[in-house]
Amino acid sequence: MCGECGCGDEKIVPVDVHERMLAGNDRAAQHNREHFHENGLVSINLMGSPGAGKTLVLEATARALGRDAKLGVLAGDLATDNDAARIRAAGIVAESITTGTACHLDADMVHHGLHHLPWRTLDYLFIENVGNLVCPAVYDLGQDANVVALSVTEGEDKPLKYPTMFRKADLVLLTKVDLLPALDVNVATIEENLRKVMLRPAMLLVSAKTGQGIDQWIAWLRGVGRPRGAACATGIGVEP
Amino acid sequence: MHEYSIVQAMFDQIERVAQTHGAQTVRRIRVRIGEFAGVDPTLFQSAYEVYRIGTPCADAVLQIEHVAAGDDLILDQVELEVR
Repeated sequence: MCGECGCGDEKIVPVDVHERMLAGNDRAAQHNREHFHENGLVSINLMGSPGAGKTLVLEATARALGRDAKLGVLAGDLATDNDAARIRAAGIVAESITTGTACHLDADMVHHGLHHLPWRTLDYLFIENVGNLVCPAVYDLGQDANVVALSVTEGEDKPLKYPTMFRKADLVLLTKVDLLPALDVNVATIEENLRKVMLRPAMLLVSAKTGQGIDQWIAWLRGVGRPRGAACATGIGVEP
Repeated sequence: MHEYSIVQAMFDQIERVAQTHGAQTVRRIRVRIGEFAGVDPTLFQSAYEVYRIGTPCADAVLQIEHVAAGDDLILDQVELEVR
């Protein structure tokens, strides 16, 4: 039985598995993705540090896009319904996924979260992941695109410190750019660092407070699922 | 610390393979972890040490192959003890 390893012990059976450890999550994510596509829904996995401005971006998105398209949000947090409540106050449907101690969302959590949201009627679903630059990058949720919110106050070297997260990103939203005059932060350095880690570097400068860059962000969203071109070229900084 | 949930997923896979082959005990586990997998091999090993207790993997050796510039996160092979 153990002809392969030559140990001579007939009881030992080597079995080749060659399967991704997250194959179970991948299957659940694919299931979500099929549901989304059958219903013509564009889904965005919005990630970033705690306090990067993810919820504020979604509130600004609700104001800018909420009249033209039906938006929904699944907001992941360890505890509280605060983010979903803020987003509902901005006029779009939102549901919390409280993860307890889990540091990320997985595809099953999203699937269960969908049961509490009229997702079939939506044009866009934003999955606001748990604030964390490490773990969420590892789990496919069934999204069409990964967007990472990175605030200018987090410093220039975050892309280099958390390469996996930025490597998986289709777009980086550099948030809170209204604060730049008060900070000693060089946007060109952030851009250079993103170029080192992102597979297809793309960054937009936004301020949910002043509205700067929100039009470009909406244009980018409208292009999700379509061949990339003009929508992204309007972005300041990194080109598509 | 998503390494714990990944190890949990790996144990589910191993349990399925062991059941298929009627095995009670796992002797060796070979995995592949890429540099860009977003998984820290040391934390993965620590999580494994916690999870293995009281399972068919209690005495199994975990062999981690590191892959440079890859995003592999693969359960490659298990060696089962079959009665």
